[in-house]
Amino acid sequence: MDGGVVLDSLWNKRAVLVSGKGGVGKTTLSAAMAVAAARSGRPVLLAELSPDEGGPSTLAGLVGAKDAGAKVVPVRQNLSFVRLSAAEGHRQFLEETLPAKWLAEAALRSRALRRFLEAGPALKEMGLLYQMLTLVRRTHPDGRPLYPLAVLDLPATGHAMALATLPRSLLSLIPGGPIGRAMREGLDLLQDPKRTGVVLTTLPEPLPVSETLSLAKELKDVGLPLSVAVLNRLPEDPFTPESLAALGRLLETHGPHRGQRALERLERAREARQRLQAGTAVPQWGLPDLALTGPALVERLSELLVPTLEEAAHPGGREATP
Amino acid sequence: MNLDAMLRDKRVIVLCGAGGVGKTTTAAALGVAAARAGRHVLVLTIDPARRLAEAMGLKENGPEPTTVPPERLYADGPQGEGRLDVWMLEPRVIFERMVRKLSATESAARAILDHRLYRFLSELVAGVQEYAAAEALDSFLTDGHYDLILLDTPPSRHALDFLEAPGRLARFLDDRVISLFGPDSSRTGRLWQGAQALVGKVLDGVFGGGFAQEMRTFVGAFGGLFAGIRLHTERLRAQLASKDAAFLLVTSPEAAALREATFFKDTLLARGLPFAGYVLNRSWAREDGLAPAANLKPHALNAVDTDAVLALEHLAGVEDARATAHRSLLARLAEGLPLGAMAIAAPDAGADLEDFRGLVHLGEALTVA
Repeated sequence: MDGGVVLDSLWNKRAVLVSGKGGVGKTTLSAAMAVAAARSGRPVLLAELSPDEGGPSTLAGLVGAKDAGAKVVPVRQNLSFVRLSAAEGHRQFLEETLPAKWLAEAALRSRALRRFLEAGPALKEMGLLYQMLTLVRRTHPDGRPLYPLAVLDLPATGHAMALATLPRSLLSLIPGGPIGRAMREGLDLLQDPKRTGVVLTTLPEPLPVSETLSLAKELKDVGLPLSVAVLNRLPEDPFTPESLAALGRLLETHGPHRGQRALERLERAREARQRLQAGTAVPQWGLPDLALTGPALVERLSELLVPTLEEAAHPGGREATP
Repeated sequence: MNLDAMLRDKRVIVLCGAGGVGKTTTAAALGVAAARAGRHVLVLTIDPARRLAEAMGLKENGPEPTTVPPERLYADGPQGEGRLDVWMLEPRVIFERMVRKLSATESAARAILDHRLYRFLSELVAGVQEYAAAEALDSFLTDGHYDLILLDTPPSRHALDFLEAPGRLARFLDDRVISLFGPDSSRTGRLWQGAQALVGKVLDGVFGGGFAQEMRTFVGAFGGLFAGIRLHTERLRAQLASKDAAFLLVTSPEAAALREATFFKDTLLARGLPFAGYVLNRSWAREDGLAPAANLKPHALNAVDTDAVLALEHLAGVEDARATAHRSLLARLAEGLPLGAMAIAAPDAGADLEDFRGLVHLGEALTVA
């Protein structure tokens, strides 16, 4: 399966979860994927799932979303942005489950209850998950989904796993009632490989790859469908096998010269590719190390992602590795 | 002050930083350096990469710190006075200790530990890792067994989560929240009873009656620990604000480093906590003193050799651009540092860091910087 086909199948899911350890470019990749999907004509909701909702939103800045908050805001054609909020999820949940509206309103006014929902076991993650489910469920009057594709930027790994294991833990805690129902629905969505795909991002270095391989295993254990592994910031490789061998001989005779660090980095990247390929049973994308940052990097990466989608419509084109 | 002096003088060094910046490795290397300089050191770490854990001889889920064998610590020379212990923080173990320590009786402790909800606590309450880190740090600082404790804080997008999380947990265990659930009879105001009745209705409606009742008994049992937890939190805060403590931010050239670094410094200073500076990891800011790639040209014997040298020159150009960017980042980090704080670049050790000798070298490189 080549990159374009993978991308095409990702675009046809309901939820794409972008995960990975911190500092691997996960947020930038989430933004680039959402922009690429929107460019290809699919209405996309880019959602940030951050445990600390108070700080500045990097993701909003990357796609140029103003007023980043718990309400969905349009960003550009086919692209909307939302910063999922536990409090918003709680509000929706209470309104939908409590028998009387006055009760929900009174509940939301209670400071003690708000504090409990903020800090009680798993309730924050539950609120985030609930808001996400509500958004995925939302439809046009004719029944078509309002957001056929949601791209989720998951927080640093620990929390991503917490989110993934949450529905199960909550189900074993509270099997019945409205929470039980909502969590079962969430679990059904997250574990369904037709509707959900996980994109695992890492860097082409030994430690990040080790961590990613164990994360891939954990994802498998909780039943989340891994779709693709992404090696981000791959260094440029100016060698042919012959010239690399020749350089090896020269350096052996004459000692290390400048470029040594870049050379070692390249070697580590090569090993990383092989280890990741051997350790995961999914397609792999390599994204180049570009001398860009912020929104400019997002645009460039999204351009690298879109053409492969078009090539996928014309089999026989060059090998598509976005 | 430089890192060498810090490792000699401080009692606690807290390493903060986003995930994936090499914080654990830095903590380990500094621990090795301090121990080799003669101190009795404890490195507290969370979730170290497997090979790093192996390099340190660290047992997973050990109930007590593991001592790095002296023959490994001093593999290259005579054994010194220093000692290095490492402990992988296991929230479950730390929580259980804390519950036992703070409960008035064994049966009060059992009421918590045996409660069905307890086993979900550590996996479900946000901030448990951070809380466990704070609790362990407080406990080791208080018993005074170690000269120096290096704390590798849990990874977070924002470096200061470690300081916020105990607060979050404390909010959950806030006496007001607890009294909403607990069998509290001391508060009799009409408003309060009204609130309690409301919460009862909401919880029964949302979670079902059985769970709400379970929650009440659990929170009621936990409530007894609250005073103790608050005491620990306050004691630790005082320790961390003292001149015996130092906070370092570990960062990488990527991770939106500058903005995060400035934010970290300002927040620490605003809270009166001792900001000690930045360690820039995975950077090429240090000079490697090698000869230019073009020097190989005369040695190229054929077309393939020439291609090889040209390719290396190209790589050297890429490397140089990257190193220059990293140096200017380091210079900007160094601007506006408070007196005595530092900004140093760790050598880019790449793959070498997964064995103990790599940690020794990194520790040496950091302390002579």
